[in-house]
Formats: sequence, C-alpha cells, structure tokens
Amino acid sequence: MDDPLEAKSLETKSLEAKSLEAKSLEAKQLVDAIISDFPDHDPNTRPVHTIGIGVDGYFIASDVARSYCIAEHFKGQRVRTSVRFSNGSGSPVQHDGWSDVRGMATRFHLENDAATDLIAMTLGEFFSPQVKDFFEFTKAAQQQPYQMENPWRKILDMLQLKIPLRNPYPKETTSADAGMLCYANRHRFAQLAVFQAASIGAPVSYARATYHAVHTFVVTAPDGIRRPVRFSWQPVAGVRTTDPTAPPVDKYLHKELRDRLQQWTARFILMMTIGEAGDAIDDPTEPWPAKRLRIVMGTLTLTGVAEDQAAASEHISFNPCRLLPGIEASGDPILHARRGAYENSRERRHGTPCPFNRSETDAK
Amino acid sequence: MPSNAGWLDRFVDGLPETRFFQFVAAHILVPYWAWRTPVKLLPGGPPPSVQPGDNVQRMMNLVMPLKDKSPVGRAKAALAIAQNKDEIYAGLDNVGTVHFARFVIVDNNICMFSVYDGDFTNYIRHFIVTIGSVFDAVVSLVDGGDDVIPSEDNVEKFIEWVHAHDMYQVPDLATGILRDQEALNGDTAAPGNDDLRLLPRQLILQLNVNNNVSLGSGYRAYPGYSAAQVRQQFGSGW
Repeated sequence: MDDPLEAKSLETKSLEAKSLEAKSLEAKQLVDAIISDFPDHDPNTRPVHTIGIGVDGYFIASDVARSYCIAEHFKGQRVRTSVRFSNGSGSPVQHDGWSDVRGMATRFHLENDAATDLIAMTLGEFFSPQVKDFFEFTKAAQQQPYQMENPWRKILDMLQLKIPLRNPYPKETTSADAGMLCYANRHRFAQLAVFQAASIGAPVSYARATYHAVHTFVVTAPDGIRRPVRFSWQPVAGVRTTDPTAPPVDKYLHKELRDRLQQWTARFILMMTIGEAGDAIDDPTEPWPAKRLRIVMGTLTLTGVAEDQAAASEHISFNPCRLLPGIEASGDPILHARRGAYENSRERRHGTPCPFNRSETDAK
Repeated sequence: MPSNAGWLDRFVDGLPETRFFQFVAAHILVPYWAWRTPVKLLPGGPPPSVQPGDNVQRMMNLVMPLKDKSPVGRAKAALAIAQNKDEIYAGLDNVGTVHFARFVIVDNNICMFSVYDGDFTNYIRHFIVTIGSVFDAVVSLVDGGDDVIPSEDNVEKFIEWVHAHDMYQVPDLATGILRDQEALNGDTAAPGNDDLRLLPRQLILQLNVNNNVSLGSGYRAYPGYSAAQVRQQFGSGW
C-alpha cells in the first residue's frame, strides 16, 4: 500500500473491529456466567432481576439540579418516566419474602425520542471492581445444596461468637450463600457487598427501599465544571423491611404496589453525591464516605402500575450506559462491561431494542 | 429465620436471647476470646485523611471520668463550665473552626462533644491558647488530669491525653471495623484466611476494650462546608 495515511486508517479500523469483537465476546461470556448461577433460568427472561413490575411516573428536577448538570432531564420540566422494580434473583420463581437485593431501573423519556436510563439496586456497592473478578465471583456464586445447619454446629458457632448460618426458607434447597462467603473470605473487596447482601432482608414495598446506582458518573455543569457523582433514590415513604422472624410470603410486592398506587402516588427523591479527589471513582465495591456533599436533584412521582406489563416490564430494555450530553460514564470497568452485557441479554430474550442516543452513538 | 426447623433447632436459634446464654457470653465467652484473640484499642477521633470533605465537620467526643463520682463531684464539673461561660464562648469564637460544642455529664463522666474543621492536634493547640484555663479547671476534676495541667506547659502531652479520651468512631460501613483493625495491626497481607462470620466477634472484642464509641460519622444535612464558609455565606462574619 503506497499511501501511509490509508494504511494507518485501515490498521485503526482493524484494531477497532478486534476491540468490538472482544467486547462482544466478553458481554456474551458475562451473561453466560450470570445465567450459570441460576439453573432454572428461563432463556426468554432477564438473566438476573427476572421477576419485575413496570410502573409509570414522572420526574421533576429540583431548582438546583440544573446548576450541577446540563442534562435535559435536570432542566426542571416534567419528564415522563418508565420504572421497573425487580427482585434480584435470576430464577423465574417469585420469592418476594426472601432476603434479596431489589432493583429499580428508571427511564427518563425526553423530546425527539431521546431517553436516558438510571439503574439502581438496594445494595450500596458491587461485588467486584474488575470484570475478571466478576467472572470468578459468578463461578463462586453457583447454587449449592443448602441444608439447615446442625444445631450442635450452631452452638459451636455461638461459642466462638460467630454468626450461625441462616436457616433455609421453606422449599429452599439450594443457595449461593456458601460460595459467596468463601469468595468474600478470599477477597476483601467483596466482603462489604456479601455481608450486606446476606442481611439485606425483604422490603415491605418496592416503594419503601433506597436504591443506589453504585457506579460513578461524571456530570457537567453549565459553567463547564465536571464532577464525579453517584446517584441514589430515597423513598419519601421511608425505608422498611419485613419482619425476618415471620414466615416469608412469596407474592406480595406487585399487589402491594398496585394497591398503593391506586390510592395515592409514591415518590422518590433523587440524591446526587459529589465525589472528591481520592474517592474510589472507578471502583463500585467502595462506597464513598457519608460526609460527601449530597444534592437533591429532583423528585420521581410514581402514578400507577403500567397496563401493558409485557411492554413495561418484560420487553423494555434498560442500559446503564444510555446517557445524555451532560452525563458520562466514569472509567469504572464494571459499568462499561454492563453496556455490552445488557445488550447481549436483550438480544437473547428478544427485548425491545434500547437505542443509544445519537450523540452517545456518535461518540463511540 | 422461618423454616422447617424442628424443636431442637428452634431452641438453639432462641439460645442467644436467653439469660443463661447472655450470662455465659458475658462472663466466659467474651473474656476467653479476649484472652485468646486479643484486640488492640482502636484510636479515638476521625481517621486521618487528606480529602477536603473529611476535614470539615469532624467530631470530637471526649469522655472524661470524674475523680469524685458523687453528686458533689458532678456539681463541681457543672460549676466549672457555668462559671466560665464567657471564656468558653470567646475562646470558641477565636478558635474559628468550631461548628458546635457542648459539655454533657453522663453518669460520672464529664463529656465534651464538638464538631470542628481541620487537624485535630491544631484544634486542641488552639484550644489550649484560647481556652486553656477553662480546660485546666475541667481536667483537674478528671481522673489522671493532674498529669497534664497546666496545659500551656504540657502541650503535646495534653493533646495525647485528649486524643486518648476521644471516642473511637466505628466506621459507617459494616466491614469497616475489620479494616481499622487490620490497619492498626499493620496487616497489609492479601486476604486468604478471613472469616466474615467472625465480624460480630471483632466488634464485641473491640467494645470489650473500648466501652464508649461513636457509631458512624453521623448524619449531616449539609456536609462539605467549613464553619468559615457557613459564616461567610450567611454574612455572620467573625
């Protein structure tokens, strides 16, 4: 090839194609790894957060939001939203009353078919800081036969001032607890998430839990200042979990939400925490100190359960990297890996495509 | 946890709530494990940090046991504060980095709880300069206080003494106490033999050597601002 510029361009394109191929393979492997943790997984459903419910609502930004972020949904107008609440498990069997992480995925619908998503969960941190660690974690988190701990063994635990293993729920025959605990004992970065997940409980309502977006995003203010931030939804109704000593009820969260929203709206406050230099910007296993500055970015009002649950809960596809000008993903490798994994998962279950906004696509 | 537990399981599950087990835990298990796996006293006050947000609105929770553990002793402590109100207020204004400060008597302890900005040693150093005589009056009523007064002549010793009476601040995150303990022990080794289920024992043993602790860094409605910024913003000046 005579033209060195053309040769360079071809080389760049070839490298980009290889990078895309590698990312696509990684995304497929990630979804496979997650699915392997749930032997009864239904391939037409999400690999995790399988059981969910779609809710309609709207978001109105606070007066101060626009001074921190130029993104369209923070300008103060009423923004239509689609929210999907979910149980964390990838099993198609519904166990609302079991202790489990819950999810809250929110789509902000904007003008000209633009949209942005915010995906959050009740756990305040993630299990691994790197994709390779997450593969190891999913291997460790395989379901294993789960039986009640022998009473004498429990007494021995108590004599060591150690927490006895929890009793299995009725009909619970397998669990990932043992593998996750073993992984956490070998990896300190996973200890907080595993400890919190083990004691997280079950909310009395999807509208009575705090949801954390976990990853860091970078928001741009009108004056051009860029800030690392983390988002969380705080329920106006307050946080409340079920009585852990009472028998768990398998199905109540959907009915509770329908009943609640038929009577009145439910609201969440969007809080944005601003990170500082030295905070774990790219590591979702490390929550930021509680002393960081928190900004009230707006209020989400849930108005009712969506009529078409197939569209609003099953087919809808969210992606944590569906962002708008004014909000960027940080360098968090888990956040970037989720982009491909969510797309791969959507393709497998034939979900509604989640087109990235033009500026986002162009930027890639 | 509800389950298909039999009577023996249910009995064992309820054991920790029985008086018998609580007696055994307090008088046998805790002393045994404290001897077998001793833990060091974790230092008081907020952990050192170079980050701006961690250096404003820091908490000091001093708990100082009174020499005279009687109503008379407590009254003397109360009077030492009341008689020096002007000096305390003027001193706090002059220190300039204090958001809130108050004295409290809890049982036979005189306590000072304050929220300040900046480095702890500088905070106490400023205190000694601006309010040292009041501190001397209070500290003279406290066990071991005679060794560090007058504070102006024993600055470093006095700072250490105050630090030792400042409560350990249990981290906000559940596993934070493990990390604090590792840091104190110089444990930087890669994990491999941790046992997360022993976290309660770590907490129990720390509370065994550390009777008074502050739980978490505390809620703040408006974290991130220094006393100077707040005063400037509201036009209060100095």
